[in-house]
Amino acid sequence: MKWISNLVSGYIRTFHFAVICLLALGLVFGGSQVTGVVSGVTVTVFYYPFSLLKNTVLNLVGVAEENKRLQLTLREATLQLTRLQEIERENERLHGILNFEPPPGHILLQARVLSVSGTTTPVSAVINRGERDSVRIDMPIINEQGLIGRVVSVFENVAKIQLLTDPTHRLAARVATSREMGIVKYRSREGMILDNLPIQGTIEISDQILSSGLGGIYPAGLVVGTVRTVERLEEEPFCRVTIDPAANFNSLEELFVLREHQP
Amino acid sequence: MTIIPYLIYLLLVALHVVILKDVTTIYTVPLNLSAFLVLAVTLYKDDMTAIWFGFFAGLVMAAGGPPSQLGWQALVMASLALVGCYVRVRLNLDSLKAKLIFVLGGIFLHNLSVLIISRTDGFLFYVVSYAITGAIYTTVIAWFFFMIKEKRITAARVKALF
Repeated sequence: MKWISNLVSGYIRTFHFAVICLLALGLVFGGSQVTGVVSGVTVTVFYYPFSLLKNTVLNLVGVAEENKRLQLTLREATLQLTRLQEIERENERLHGILNFEPPPGHILLQARVLSVSGTTTPVSAVINRGERDSVRIDMPIINEQGLIGRVVSVFENVAKIQLLTDPTHRLAARVATSREMGIVKYRSREGMILDNLPIQGTIEISDQILSSGLGGIYPAGLVVGTVRTVERLEEEPFCRVTIDPAANFNSLEELFVLREHQP
Repeated sequence: MTIIPYLIYLLLVALHVVILKDVTTIYTVPLNLSAFLVLAVTLYKDDMTAIWFGFFAGLVMAAGGPPSQLGWQALVMASLALVGCYVRVRLNLDSLKAKLIFVLGGIFLHNLSVLIISRTDGFLFYVVSYAITGAIYTTVIAWFFFMIKEKRITAARVKALF
């Protein structure tokens, strides 16, 4: 009986294979229309989901790579922007310096601030000019905004300067319009003040305060600041005048040593 | 006979063609997953199932290629299944070595047939660089498959290694 079963199963197998051969030959010789339909259906049913998955994954990977690349570009652009802003600021500052002219009979020696010291406000600074550059004690220091201070000690290559914001510093000054005179001091509570101005003196808010030239250190006409407040109290002989300094003592960078011109 | 496992195998063939082919190809040596699946079905299932599965696996495998090769590829794969059935009946394929030789021979035959169908120039070069190496590569993968199927490699054993 087994050989009959083998024979039958062999025939069935052969029959199935013959059907498959017919189908396959139909595909081979059936023309492009038949193969097009069969391959189209097969691709749609079996390939399409994986193709979709593959494209989605590739897109996601592409987006992630693009994101990484853009982040890098953004970081570089930010760095470049910061650098350009710094250059722009320096450019503006240097333009201001270019237009700046020294008082008559003086020449300017450019100096760079090396360090600034002081607790709440800066009171002294060190510049990169010294004896080698003919810097001497009591030479005035200015910048394009106004008066900064004076040289108090000189070394070979550097010099220490006392700023107007040092509470021990005194400066003979006058009001630009009325020519009234007083002494500019710095007090930690009130800031910069003009002292010793008589109560009947003529002074208004926004008046410019200039160095008077008295005292022998600072030449006359250097801008010190502008009047912020004026108080006149009857029981006091002098006005209480506060000043906004012309120079910004918190951002000192480029300074000038003011030297007398010796022909 | 439920057709769901065979549909899954066909999906596996499509997955291999669309996504995994590039990943599994080492240099120019591809993994012939579709022929291996047909041979595996031939080994473990009855003749008719194997032959029809071979036919459809050939269709799925060749659907992305030139339409003129569709019928030939299907026929070759069905023939591979038929030859596999004859070999299985006449030889004792119980041992792992015999199965691996069966797979190696089957894959080589299929690769050779594909080369003939596609009428590639430099036939001998491709016999060495594609047909033989591809058959060896697929046999290595088949070895892992049989080891796992016959429970010679199990999760517990792999864990025990570490």
